[in-house]
Amino acid sequence: MFLLPKGTPLHEDVPAAKILLPDMLAKLKQGGFTGYVRFVFPAASSVLFFESGKLISAKLDQGNGGLSGLEAIAGMCTHIFTGGGSLSVYRLSRDLVMGLHALLHGEMLYRAQELKLIDVKGLLEKLKVQQLNGCLRIYTENRTALIFYKEGSPLGFFHDGAEDIETSASESQKIAGLPGAKIDVLSTKPADELMMYDLLEMVNVGKLWESSQARFNAEREKLRKEAEERENKQRDLILLELEDDLKEIAVAYLGKVARNLVDKELTDRGGRSCLMSESKTTEFLGGIEKAAKLLTSASKIKEMIDTMRSEIAGRI
Amino acid sequence: MDFLHSTSMISQIQVICWLLAGLLSFYFSVGNARVWTSISMGFFLIFVSQMYLLAPWADYPQLEAIHYIIGTVSIMVMTHGFLEYYVFSRTMEVGGSKPVVYFSILGIIAGSVVFVLINPTPTYVILRHIKMIENSTWVFLCIVNIELIRKIYLQIKGSAMANGFIAFGIVFLFIFLWKGADLYLQVYGWDSDWQVFLTNVGVPTTAEAFRMRVGFSRAVSDFAGILSGLSAGGSFIYLYRLLR
Repeated sequence: MFLLPKGTPLHEDVPAAKILLPDMLAKLKQGGFTGYVRFVFPAASSVLFFESGKLISAKLDQGNGGLSGLEAIAGMCTHIFTGGGSLSVYRLSRDLVMGLHALLHGEMLYRAQELKLIDVKGLLEKLKVQQLNGCLRIYTENRTALIFYKEGSPLGFFHDGAEDIETSASESQKIAGLPGAKIDVLSTKPADELMMYDLLEMVNVGKLWESSQARFNAEREKLRKEAEERENKQRDLILLELEDDLKEIAVAYLGKVARNLVDKELTDRGGRSCLMSESKTTEFLGGIEKAAKLLTSASKIKEMIDTMRSEIAGRI
Repeated sequence: MDFLHSTSMISQIQVICWLLAGLLSFYFSVGNARVWTSISMGFFLIFVSQMYLLAPWADYPQLEAIHYIIGTVSIMVMTHGFLEYYVFSRTMEVGGSKPVVYFSILGIIAGSVVFVLINPTPTYVILRHIKMIENSTWVFLCIVNIELIRKIYLQIKGSAMANGFIAFGIVFLFIFLWKGADLYLQVYGWDSDWQVFLTNVGVPTTAEAFRMRVGFSRAVSDFAGILSGLSAGGSFIYLYRLLR
């Protein structure tokens, strides 16, 4: 899951199943939204970065790796339809969006440099000179801190456990001082340049949504049919066992001829599935009782019918 | 010739036995499934057919003819009942209504009465012919019923009612002996009616020459008649207990 500063929360933990993604994206576009939308699904998480209503980045992180752009949006649609996800919308400054973009999509200038072995002051000086737009990630095995830069100057500090950007560098310095601390330097394009990209213009989210919906519906229908078939098979098995048991009860009270009697009474009512219906079960037992009067005593018939009734009630 | 006239007391015992069986069977038909109605009514009609021996107007030939016809109807109705039960045992189908059975029997008897009344008054010879037809029908249908009962028993073996059909099988065995012995005597002209007729017209009879077999046949007829009445009554009591 992406650990990101929250900025100004607009919506938090809204059930993802309630939203129509194309409509929501259109609204954010029309409102000139700057910030990010974060989805948390049971088996994935994703984030959409907006700058002045333009969707500059989409990223989906799931078990089998990360996806971005069109694939990320398509994956998001699938996860929304699968259900169980939630959505949060946070407003951020334009510069911070740029920093977060760097974190997720930026070019890696330095990777996993051990802080002990490098000249940090020199590095920072270099970034200032290069007017870096991007992000420094300082981390150990257990802790991470982010420092966002715009044109070589720090915008703010963020670390795990925090909810928002801080102005103090103390926590970042603490992590940098831990044994084994490393640093990544990621750069991105300036905000103006990033705004030249708008995934909403490049991707037909509506179509993507519809096709995901169609695919999901088809899958759901397939699953429903499979479940129904499974249920029918299971029900048939239960009914078959029930029929055998009813025959055994009837044979115990009426002799072997009762096997034909049960067969006949069930066939007259459309087969053993009639035992699923209360009224047809009553008719079935009535038919058995009527014929049984020609074969045994009233007291035995009553006992047999009661046994059959409880057997049916216990199974259905 | 005394042995030919010594059975009136036995006949009266037979009627009493059939009265018992008739009442039980009629009571049984009221409280049970329709398939039993034909069988029960058949047994009840045997009593009706035998009742003429007790009736003070027994000497009316037309009434006697009607009794014989009712006797014929009774075995036909019973056979119909057993046939229906056999069909039930094979198909498990239970249908029809009791009133249809009652009214059909009444209709057949009414038709028979009309038939007797619109024809000339039956003479002793005609009455004997009607009685022979009755006995022939009984003997033939007894065999049919015993076979039907055997098949029904095999079909419903294991049910409480199966033993009831064994009892009915015994009843029909007695009836077969009763009616069969009667028919045998009639066919050879050794029955009491024919002996009276021969005596009246002065024609010699062969009965004396076959005294042993005539006596044996009459004894079989008398005792099988009593036993069939008793066994029929007993069977219905047994059935009543089985179905209670």
